Amino acid sequence: MTRITVNNLYKDFKIYDKPQDRLAEIILRKPRHKVYHVLSDISFAVPDGKSLGIIGDNGAGKSTLLKLLVGILQPTSGDVQLQGQVAALLELGAGFHPEFTGRKNIYLNAALLGVPDENIPEIENDIIEFSELDYFIDRPVKTYSSGMFVRLAFSIATMVRPDILVIDEALSVGDMAFQKKCVQRMNEFREQQKTMVFCSHSMFHVQELCDTAIWIDKGKIQEMGDSDKVVGHYEDYCNSKKVYHSIREDMPHEDGPASNTEEPKVQDCRINSLSVKSPEGVELSSLTPLEDVVLEMEVEVLADGIEGNFGFAFMKSAEEPVASFLTTDIGHIEKGPFHKGDKFTVSLTVKSLAMRVGDFYVLGGLADKSGLLWYETKFSKQLHIEANKGVGPLLMQSEWKVNQL
Amino acid sequence: MFFKLISDWIKSPFHSARLFNNFTRQDFFVQFTASIAGVFWLFLTPIVNIIIYSFVFGYVFQMRALPEFGETQFVIFMMIGYLPWFAFAEAISKSPGLLLEKAPLITKVMFPVQLLPIVGTVVPYLTHVIGFGLLLLYLALQGYLSLLWLLIPVIFFLQFLFTMGLVAILSAFCVFLRDLQQLVALLITLWFFLTPIIYPISIIESETVRELFLFNPMHSFVSLYRDIILFESISLVNLQIIIPVSLISYLIGGWLFMRIKHAFGDVL
Repeated sequence: MTRITVNNLYKDFKIYDKPQDRLAEIILRKPRHKVYHVLSDISFAVPDGKSLGIIGDNGAGKSTLLKLLVGILQPTSGDVQLQGQVAALLELGAGFHPEFTGRKNIYLNAALLGVPDENIPEIENDIIEFSELDYFIDRPVKTYSSGMFVRLAFSIATMVRPDILVIDEALSVGDMAFQKKCVQRMNEFREQQKTMVFCSHSMFHVQELCDTAIWIDKGKIQEMGDSDKVVGHYEDYCNSKKVYHSIREDMPHEDGPASNTEEPKVQDCRINSLSVKSPEGVELSSLTPLEDVVLEMEVEVLADGIEGNFGFAFMKSAEEPVASFLTTDIGHIEKGPFHKGDKFTVSLTVKSLAMRVGDFYVLGGLADKSGLLWYETKFSKQLHIEANKGVGPLLMQSEWKVNQL
Repeated sequence: MFFKLISDWIKSPFHSARLFNNFTRQDFFVQFTASIAGVFWLFLTPIVNIIIYSFVFGYVFQMRALPEFGETQFVIFMMIGYLPWFAFAEAISKSPGLLLEKAPLITKVMFPVQLLPIVGTVVPYLTHVIGFGLLLLYLALQGYLSLLWLLIPVIFFLQFLFTMGLVAILSAFCVFLRDLQQLVALLITLWFFLTPIIYPISIIESETVRELFLFNPMHSFVSLYRDIILFESISLVNLQIIIPVSLISYLIGGWLFMRIKHAFGDVL
């Protein structure tokens, strides 16, 4: 069964210079607005039990698409069909009343999301437990920290068990532990064959949670398909963009589709290759704790006058670094300005690897002078840590001494 | 389409009864959160109000019984009109902000938005029916009670429907026309003085001007309450005005609201 069907969806916003123009238009029937095309020709379908990720730059139209899905906005043309009960988390805690206690807000919010009253007491305890609020649940919501606020909101929305869950950027909040719980909850959701639409800037989460993904660029579907593939292409596209481009490029083009003839993006540099090797020069696909590793990349500079620092990092996910290495404070390494066509091979020997368990990626790149912005980065494939004895996340080089007295 | 919208409007508080219930309780009790006297204020406020007005009009201005109302104290004459007016005035003056305040909810959560003007009318009426009820109780004890009193709840309900229609229109229009907020505040003051609440209609000498008052439905409501309580009679003219006016206001207001509610998401 198809849960969500979207056919040739278009959405325009009318932009008025002054509020009275809107009134004048109604009375005089003479158009006084400019049309801004937010979304054009969006069509897709999500079958029962599948989840869809929506990715794209800021202002690409992701949130508008979600609002159209839920019915808060009306499409200019085209249609949206949803089958079943929908719960939307477009903004966490949108329906909360600050003066009331968390418990009262559970009832109100659940009613907003369409849960029958008689079912609320039975999920109430689950919500309180999941949100980890304890006795704060009987304090007014205005006294909550922002973390507590979103934890409560997320708990309610997912406890409602809708057929379709629509989430906008919900996971970018809360501490790591809670984020993990959210991901778990959303995975449970998938296992129960519920349908989910999820919009995020966290590529890692999209890959983890979604079967398919849509990449929206300037209101149009740029690519649709398997989430790993789409996310990969989107990341390539992001990497190929200049890190700091002028703000004007991000402004909506008021004259609409005619403005698609944009200049080709100028790249500052390119990471031609990135590899993880043993000290003997053998390429590795898994790592052994306490062994030395050599990280190696080839960097090609594509513009004149670039100044920067080389860097590597071990990453747990696209957002979660474990360890980082930058040449910012390493005096004898050249920092530019480099010239167009310069090529470097950069290698870093990491001695006695400390991670004991898990999967990691290696990131290599060239950062700007301050070391804060990447010109360009490249990820390695996933590296697994070889099984070994012990407990805890780390293994350290150590030496024992036991003397009998 | 017309009838579909109207039936949706009428049905929505029953269809989404739980949400309606929750909203009403929330807006009603939020007036008293973190206050010590709490719900007690509901009774205290009208009593204190009546005492203040008795002092000002009865003692300071020495307004005694009006000739055409026999023995009845001026204050009682006034409060019969004033307390129902309070409910109306509060609902109307809050109406322009109803949707603007809830903008985050309207733009982020899908729910029947028409509940907002309904709740926005129900809450002031719930609040002020207590004061009106206290006055009626007092008058009943004073021996004013008659069978015609059974009509008072009916008329009060019609006044409620009349108000709800206006609230729906004002709240929806204010989304597009924020100037209404200031305008409504002014108009409600004007409307107050154009309704014979603190003066009897008989004070106006010209017959033609007095007939113009018939265009003010609030005048008819106030007169009806007074006629029933003080004279044990009922004016058919006023009844003929308020029944169609209330129903038209309720239905047209609701229809207009349902017509334009889809545009709220774009504007808010």
